[in-house]
Amino acid sequence: MVNLFRAEWSKIAGHRWLTGCLIWIFPIGAVAFTVVLSIILALSEPARTSFAADTVTWTETLAGAWSFLNNPLGRLLLIGFTAVMFAGEYQWQTWKSLIPRNRRAALILIKFLALSVFVVVAFALMSVLLTAGMGLLRAIAGASYGPEITANVVRAAASDYARSAGLGFLSTLIAAGYAALAGMLTRSILGGVLVAYGLTIAESLLLVGLLVAAYFLDFRDIVHVYRFTPGYNLLNLDSWFRTGKSTPFEVAFSANEVLVVQDSAEFSALVIAVWVIGLIGLTVYLFRRQDITS
Amino acid sequence: MTATDSPIITESLTKQFGRGRKRILAVRDVNLTVKTGQVYGFLGPNGAGKTTTIRMLLRLLHPTAGRAYIYGQSVARHPEALRRVGAIVEGASFYNFLSARRNLEVFARTADHYDPARIDALLAQVGLTERKHQRVKGYSTGMKQRLGLAAALLGDPDLLILDEPTNGLDPSGMHEIREFIRRLATEEGKTIFLSSHLLSEIEQICDRVAIIQRGAIVREGAVSDLLEAKTSLRIEASPLETAAAILSARWPVTVNTTWLSVQAARDEIPAIVRNLAQRDIDVYQIASQRQSLEEYFLSVVSEDAPHG
Repeated sequence: MVNLFRAEWSKIAGHRWLTGCLIWIFPIGAVAFTVVLSIILALSEPARTSFAADTVTWTETLAGAWSFLNNPLGRLLLIGFTAVMFAGEYQWQTWKSLIPRNRRAALILIKFLALSVFVVVAFALMSVLLTAGMGLLRAIAGASYGPEITANVVRAAASDYARSAGLGFLSTLIAAGYAALAGMLTRSILGGVLVAYGLTIAESLLLVGLLVAAYFLDFRDIVHVYRFTPGYNLLNLDSWFRTGKSTPFEVAFSANEVLVVQDSAEFSALVIAVWVIGLIGLTVYLFRRQDITS
Repeated sequence: MTATDSPIITESLTKQFGRGRKRILAVRDVNLTVKTGQVYGFLGPNGAGKTTTIRMLLRLLHPTAGRAYIYGQSVARHPEALRRVGAIVEGASFYNFLSARRNLEVFARTADHYDPARIDALLAQVGLTERKHQRVKGYSTGMKQRLGLAAALLGDPDLLILDEPTNGLDPSGMHEIREFIRRLATEEGKTIFLSSHLLSEIEQICDRVAIIQRGAIVREGAVSDLLEAKTSLRIEASPLETAAAILSARWPVTVNTTWLSVQAARDEIPAIVRNLAQRDIDVYQIASQRQSLEEYFLSVVSEDAPHG
């Protein structure tokens, strides 16, 4: 398994254009951001004043870096990266050299593992670089960059970081699941990107569709389907971790008829687990049955 | 000899693509047995089912019916049997953005038999040491095929399955690959299952051949037996076209510039002479000649081709 992982890592890392543009762009972007902003701050007094007026803490910066995973551009880049990892083997016609001497399930699972490691390394690096870079920028602007480092602050920051990274990672894994499945079924990198990105957009528009369906079909319970989407459950988990309460799911059908549902953290964790395991499992299952004709 | 001594056995191997009206029966009831140490040629025109059969042997395609065994183990149930196999399918494919050496490292690690010394030795064996750090993107077709052979030999397999290994090569490249394959068989004792369009190559290096036509095996046997079973006759006669017309009613005939090639056995010569003499055809010479594999293949393919 170690050899299989090293093969996957060395193959993808060897594609410098791919990794440079789609995954290392995050830490590279953090450095570029720091360099560009430090030049601006060094040259412009008004920029320094304006920058110093903002309240920025290293704890927020550290955890906030992971939110790029939910940003539409960040999501698109990661979907592209996943699609290349999975559909690339069809386009390069290399499955025929890999499959005979390996179990198909292992080949797919190792891709998910390598993808996870790439994402964790890139974003951990990005969060550290961004936090250090922001410290430099605050120093140039002569502004404070708290809070002071104490045991309690570090503990709270670590907990916040783990929450942000964990949820960002789970959301990436689901998007990657779409991309892997789509890339495998369409056998095309572009097909994988388009279908997977389409699915993430469709998920964000699902609630509107369900409300329209509930109205026209006069079947209000249909909106409960939304409670099983990854997006809602990730938000709910985030709320539980941050505030100890759920994010209420509210739908007003009329002034007098409002549906309010509050789901537990356990419910959301279970739904997310089903999505992650389901998408990875489905990819493995379909790949095992697939005929490799190229 | 037991099943485990046979590197390849297929039992009624069948593959159908599509369903209903779009159904294509690419391979039907293919039964093959390749024995240890053999160099086995697998011939057939384009689209006959050679690559589909090979892909089923390598677990790339799932058979619709039948079974494939590698060293006595079912490929479907025991994929680990394929660890004793090296293969090139429809030309070698690589990660073009990686160097030759890195490609071999990736394939070796994926197959869990990473050995840097073996990789370097194989690169030397196929003559790519000088350019091993160059990206495969810049390689010629011949270099890629040689690298493909090196990749197939990673892990020192006992059985090599080579599908069109000389595709896209110039004559010197073909000669080079043929000699390499011959050495693998004679010096290293590898069993080789070789599919190729180059019948003269197959004739020179294979012990046994199977011919597949429209998905089914139509002939199978030792090369020497197949070629001796059916000789061809070289006939010089005048007028040549009339002679060809008369004989083609009973035998497959090829008209050459000054002579006819008639696919008939030696003991059919008297009947041929009688036929020609009765129609006032002047016969100058009849000579029996052993068919080449190419002539044999063409006669088999034309006999089995759909008529009308």
